Amino acid sequence: MSIDPSLRLPAETPNTPVRGELAIANLSKSFRIGGQLRPVLEGINLTLRPGEFVSIVGASGCGKSTLLRLIVGLDDDYQGEIRLDGERVATTSLDRGIVFQDHRLFPWMTLEQNIELALRNTNVPKARRAQIVAEHIALVGLEGFEKAYPHQLSGGMAQRGAIARALVTEPKLLLLDEPLGALDALTRVNVQTELQRIWMAQRSTMLMVTHDVEEALYLGDRVIVMSPNPGRIRRIVDVDLPHPRDRRSPLLHRLKDEILAELTAAPVEPGGVSDNLVRLPAREAR
Amino acid sequence: MTRSLLSAPLRTAAGLVAPALLVALWQWNSGGALGSVAIAPPSALLTAGRELVADGTLGAGVAATLARALTGFGIGAALGFLTGVAMALSSAVNRVLGPLLQALRQVPMLGWMPLIALWFGTGEGSELIVVCVASFFPTLLSTHSGLRQVESRYLEVGRIYGLDTGQRFALVQLPAALPFVLTGLNQALAFAWIATIASEILLGTGAGLGVTMQQAQMQQRLDMMLVAVIVTAFLGFAINQILLHLRRGLLRWQPDNR
Ligand SMILES: Nc1ncnc2c1ncn2[C@@H]1O[C@H](COP(=O)(O)OP(=O)(O)OP(=O)(O)O)[C@@H](O)[C@H]1O
Ligand SMILES: [Mg+2]
Repeated sequence: MSIDPSLRLPAETPNTPVRGELAIANLSKSFRIGGQLRPVLEGINLTLRPGEFVSIVGASGCGKSTLLRLIVGLDDDYQGEIRLDGERVATTSLDRGIVFQDHRLFPWMTLEQNIELALRNTNVPKARRAQIVAEHIALVGLEGFEKAYPHQLSGGMAQRGAIARALVTEPKLLLLDEPLGALDALTRVNVQTELQRIWMAQRSTMLMVTHDVEEALYLGDRVIVMSPNPGRIRRIVDVDLPHPRDRRSPLLHRLKDEILAELTAAPVEPGGVSDNLVRLPAREAR
Repeated sequence: MTRSLLSAPLRTAAGLVAPALLVALWQWNSGGALGSVAIAPPSALLTAGRELVADGTLGAGVAATLARALTGFGIGAALGFLTGVAMALSSAVNRVLGPLLQALRQVPMLGWMPLIALWFGTGEGSELIVVCVASFFPTLLSTHSGLRQVESRYLEVGRIYGLDTGQRFALVQLPAALPFVLTGLNQALAFAWIATIASEILLGTGAGLGVTMQQAQMQQRLDMMLVAVIVTAFLGFAINQILLHLRRGLLRWQPDNR
């Protein structure tokens, strides 16, 4: 006995809006440097399922931030296709949020005002905004700092504030560009756990760039390994473990070794080993 | 280090040491100690001061000068701010007005006076125009460059959250440029004050501290002139303090402004 799915749909729709499906096809991007066209991304093909968490690792300069800027719509000068739920990405939209590597909270606004700013042009009723802001401040553990200016927060607290600002609009797709790069090891582990909890609660699609392979594996349903010059997808690693995950899982450790080997391997095309490639394992060795 | 060890009254007292020494030196010199520089002893100033207060000259002068300086500053700074905003936000306006204003600002403030006197005669109107011109340029330049220097990473945040032109200006560009704008206003106010006194001396009619100085010179009343100078210095200082206080309040969000 099966239930007609169309009968269940209306009841579910209010609570579970369509979450972003990101489809990238044949994406290439070049920058003009000194009159010469320099390819930065080449032949990127990638589809993110709605609600999926995907991590990206790759050497410095391989185009990870460039890719996120294209997806979020800050740069529309590219070849190929980027579609979110079928709609071609041309400019920014409240459907797509981003956490930059630098927190980018406005120094002239308090934490509360910074987060409230994100709601300005949403259809969240004015009366509810203060409450939603307060909830998100609590979500990232910053209660008591509502009236603090960014310079009165530590780097890690400001970064958590930036995460709260990006989450408050409930974007269908959230992009994270090394959001935890500035944090110390302990805070980092805590925020990773928090991020996993938030993602499991919201189930929006997330795409996170990181230099930390362990972090990429702990959070990601899949890990994308990119190679530089020009930036390409070298390998996609499936992390077949349910969330929440145990950091000590042997599978995570095995995959970590594999990815590190992939990152340090000599590039496929001739052109010599970039010393950027050596950076990742060095960081991991801590 | 030492500064933080001093209490607030002590710090104020420290600021009074130099003026006190100056007065002492001055009184001592009025006996002819450093030669025959034409200078009246401080004691004579008290008499002159009392005289100027009694006949109402000082009160009227202070009121007229303050009104002139603040009106001129208000108009000049407002025009400078609006022009700076228009030039920063519209490249068309910038192309049209930029070169002209860059050239005009090379004319020193005092250089405008003969021209303004020629066009508008002496008296209230001309004085006000001089003060306006003096406040206009510093405000314009700092507003313009402040708005042009807003970091693109903040403008990108504005784009991410879909801010419209008005929101972008009010919530991102203006606050980001505010430290520059306030520095320009500070400078504009100092210029306005100088321009007020100078235009009163050169173009003045009616009441005003500069007019009093001018009359004192005609009557060879050194004591009277020094009273006017001291009152001018004190008022200029007070106005500047008020502005600095305002600045600290408005820039609370800056790490070094707390
Ligand atoms: N605005 C730009 N103009 C010209 N070249 C650019 C621009 N932005 C990025 N690039 C180039 O694109 C390449 C990729 O830069 P990108 O910032 O995407 O790297 P990344 O993978 O994010 O590196 P990292 O891990 O160090 O953050 C670099 O070689 C850089 O020189
Ligand atoms: Mg980057």
